[in-house]
Amino acid sequence: MSGLLLHVIPAAASMLASATETSTVTPANFWMPEGASIQAGPIDAVFQFINVVNYISFALVVVVMLWFCIRYRQRGKNVEFMDGPEHNTALEITWTVIPTIILIVMFFLGFIGYLDLQTPPKNSYDIKVTAKQWQWEFEYPNGAKSVTELVVPAGKPVRLIMRSEDVLHSLFIPDFRVKQDVVPGRYTYLWFQSDAVNDPDDPTDFRWLFCTEYCGDEHWNMNVHVRVFEDEAFNTWTKEQARWLDVIDDEDLYFMAGPKIYARCASCHTLDGLDKSGPSWGPRDGMGDLWQRVSEGTGKIAGGRKADPGITTLEDYIGDGKLYGTPEDYIRSSIYDPGALLVSGFNNGMATFQGQLNDRAIDALIGMMQNLDEFNADGTFKDEERIKEAEERIKKNKEAAAEAAAAAGVTNVASSG
Amino acid sequence: MTTIDTANKSDIADMPAAGAQGPVDNYLTWTKGAISWIFTLDHKRIGVMYLAGVLISFLIGGLFALIVRTELIAPGATIIEPSTYNLFFTLHGAVMVFLVIIPSIPASLGNFVLPIMLGAKDVAFPRLNLFSFHLWIIGAIFVVLSLLLGGFDTGWTFYTPYSTTTETGGVVPVLFGVFILGFSSIFTGLNFVVTVHKMRPPGMTWFRMPLFLWAIYSTALIQILATPVLAITLMLVGIERAFQIGIFDPAMGGDPVLFQHFFWFYSHPAVYIMILPAMGIISDLIAVHSHRHIFGYRFIAYSSVAIAIFSFLVWGHHMFTSGQSALLNTIFSAITFSVAVPSAIKIFNWLATLYKGSIALNTPMLYALGFIFLFTIGGLTGLYLGTLNTDVHLHDTYFVVAHFHYVMMGSALIGFIGGLHHWWPKMFGRMYNEKLGIIAFTLVFIGFNVTFFTQFMLGSKGMPRRYYDYQPEFEIYHFISTIGSYVMAAGFFLTAYYLLASLFSGKKAPANPWGGRSLEWQCTSPPPHDNFKTTPTVGDCYDFSVVRWSDEEDGYVIDRSKDPEIAPSSAHSGH
Repeated sequence: MSGLLLHVIPAAASMLASATETSTVTPANFWMPEGASIQAGPIDAVFQFINVVNYISFALVVVVMLWFCIRYRQRGKNVEFMDGPEHNTALEITWTVIPTIILIVMFFLGFIGYLDLQTPPKNSYDIKVTAKQWQWEFEYPNGAKSVTELVVPAGKPVRLIMRSEDVLHSLFIPDFRVKQDVVPGRYTYLWFQSDAVNDPDDPTDFRWLFCTEYCGDEHWNMNVHVRVFEDEAFNTWTKEQARWLDVIDDEDLYFMAGPKIYARCASCHTLDGLDKSGPSWGPRDGMGDLWQRVSEGTGKIAGGRKADPGITTLEDYIGDGKLYGTPEDYIRSSIYDPGALLVSGFNNGMATFQGQLNDRAIDALIGMMQNLDEFNADGTFKDEERIKEAEERIKKNKEAAAEAAAAAGVTNVASSG
Repeated sequence: MTTIDTANKSDIADMPAAGAQGPVDNYLTWTKGAISWIFTLDHKRIGVMYLAGVLISFLIGGLFALIVRTELIAPGATIIEPSTYNLFFTLHGAVMVFLVIIPSIPASLGNFVLPIMLGAKDVAFPRLNLFSFHLWIIGAIFVVLSLLLGGFDTGWTFYTPYSTTTETGGVVPVLFGVFILGFSSIFTGLNFVVTVHKMRPPGMTWFRMPLFLWAIYSTALIQILATPVLAITLMLVGIERAFQIGIFDPAMGGDPVLFQHFFWFYSHPAVYIMILPAMGIISDLIAVHSHRHIFGYRFIAYSSVAIAIFSFLVWGHHMFTSGQSALLNTIFSAITFSVAVPSAIKIFNWLATLYKGSIALNTPMLYALGFIFLFTIGGLTGLYLGTLNTDVHLHDTYFVVAHFHYVMMGSALIGFIGGLHHWWPKMFGRMYNEKLGIIAFTLVFIGFNVTFFTQFMLGSKGMPRRYYDYQPEFEIYHFISTIGSYVMAAGFFLTAYYLLASLFSGKKAPANPWGGRSLEWQCTSPPPHDNFKTTPTVGDCYDFSVVRWSDEEDGYVIDRSKDPEIAPSSAHSGH
């Protein structure tokens, strides 16, 4: 047990100590890589406990074996018969009971540690993970997406909500000591918390994330970097990542980005005219679809913070010199500040998307509203040919952006060197 | 087999009169011609044919392993493409598990030795025995066929939905091959269970059987009960693949974790199908070469049965990170630890058997001692994997690869090679070169540890398994591991050389070269076609007080006059 204590005490001490770089990372040793999460300490402590048990057991077996082999070695061919004991019940019971007790202790240590691994704190920061042959995709609450690296906030419990699009995968971060299979057809969770901050400006400062469930030809290559950023740097990064819309050409925006963003609206707003907890974007209330109701000003309003008493249609709110200059302004305002005007028959049940959807995202949604007949009721775009063409353009834009970034990187190195 | 036909025609009339027979024929020369081998009903010939098949498969599976290790000697592409690498590690695993380790001890050594140990003329169902060998051949042909059709890159575990969607063409043939191999295994098990139940000689109660028989018997029970589950599971994968019926693929409404449950429900017991017979061999090797009564016979025998029973209840420990519920994981972890106890008991009993023995450090004994060393490491490293939270880190890394190679190869195969050296003189009537045997053992033992011990560090430091390429920090471990594999291969090639050479130029083997007491040492080497003319009477097969060296036999003889149970006066009395 001394081995266990030896590891628990420094781990606890490091948590109490101020979050300096050195105290949050346990150094690599003969067996383990660096430990960079709050999970690493307890796991390494149990590992160390088993080590101690094993070193002693193994030494006993080998020493006894060698000693007997030397002491009782046969000389020549004759059998020196010494009539050793055939059994000894007391001895047999001893060497059954002692290992049993040690094994029970071992089981409980592992079990208790496992419960902690399985129980994410309630206030966790959730990141959606999609695994497919052979790519990881991480999606953040603000809509930011990343396929090249997993960036997480420091000092906060992070929960990965994972699914697979094809075969089994498994997400493994050795330095965090966490692993969970990603299974098609179900969601699996994995959580961790790390204080081991990486330098946001140094791309070589990272930890590895591996796929550990064999998934085909590029299984070995399904690896990305994990980086832990302080709050401010993390927020900056997610905002930059949220600019995934930037690589989509303007004319493609409404059908390439629209459906992806609309997926977050779909639980309340349908496209087929049947209201859920929010008004449908489709034709409803004896009028046209959402864009018609807004642009023609026929939509009915009943209450809201900015509502004028007695005014019940949108035409009095939208237009030159009115509350909203254009229909687009009204839509954006309704997404950022849903309680300003309430559609007749609905309460203010919608959360604001301010800070989560930027102008281009709003553009995409408006474009979708304006061309609703080009979409299926589930929000998918009907014309697959145009999607394919647009994907080609995105690919080119991405390559161009990567080249530009690489060129900028080279200049940076040159100027700093 | 023609070499063996002519291997021993010499006059064997001067064999010791230790057995119940006088001058005898020998099973190798009893009849001649290929047909007399292919359609033989003689358990010894079937055992020898199995042995040849298993050793050829071992050579092929070993070459696959060397290709894999050579690719990994340095980062980046070394000798093969990623897709080829995936084919080779899959083939290595499938060949070694299904064609080598599972049939190795029971079907080759077990077939040869079991009836003789029982003083019987053959197994209970000789035709079924021959049929199971023919099935093995057909299964092996399907494995070869799958190679010609493009191979398979699923890993030997055939995890869905990858195995039902991968484009390699050999998946369905190999599934069918393994299905057939499964029936070969079931029939062998069935035969052994009936033989042990019905054909024990007078005086051999259950607790007087050599421990090898207890192990083979426990193994046979697992083979009969678990293998059908594998057969039907693989059949379902084949059906899903061929007819797009959703069973395991979620895209068609199936559940991939269900496949893992089905697969490990067989494949965990299969681990004990592989290791239990080796444990049985080691029990006998330790006792015979120490010339010392086995310590704690009943504990060892019961622990074999206990392992066989527990083996059915722990399959979920392969799935701690699969998405299986935390409650199930906890239960499986707890039961898994209970398997560790009987394994520990066996090790302690083997060590106690050495105490006050007369230990001959010859090749089979070195393999037995090597087994204890390697199995101790294999078993102890299993503790990290049975413990829930450490397994989360170690699962699907090289740590697991190292662990199961210590158990499957370091233990099961080393036990098999030890048993092969132990019974080789009995099987072929020739002694091999003992010096080369010791050198080869040393190469294998050192090479093995260099290859696989480094993989523990590789795994605990985070290197995932089944990777074609890796990060530079892992290079040193991979390099050392690959060098170790070459040393080990050198040891095995040396073994192949001196064993084959012994067939032509080996010294003639006495009936009892080691001083064993079980019945196989009481018939000539090689045994006659009928094993024994009359059913022999047995004494305590671990009582070595009556064994003495005889210069004129150049082997050991049993002083029958000193054992009241088998004395010619037939004064039977309790021991």
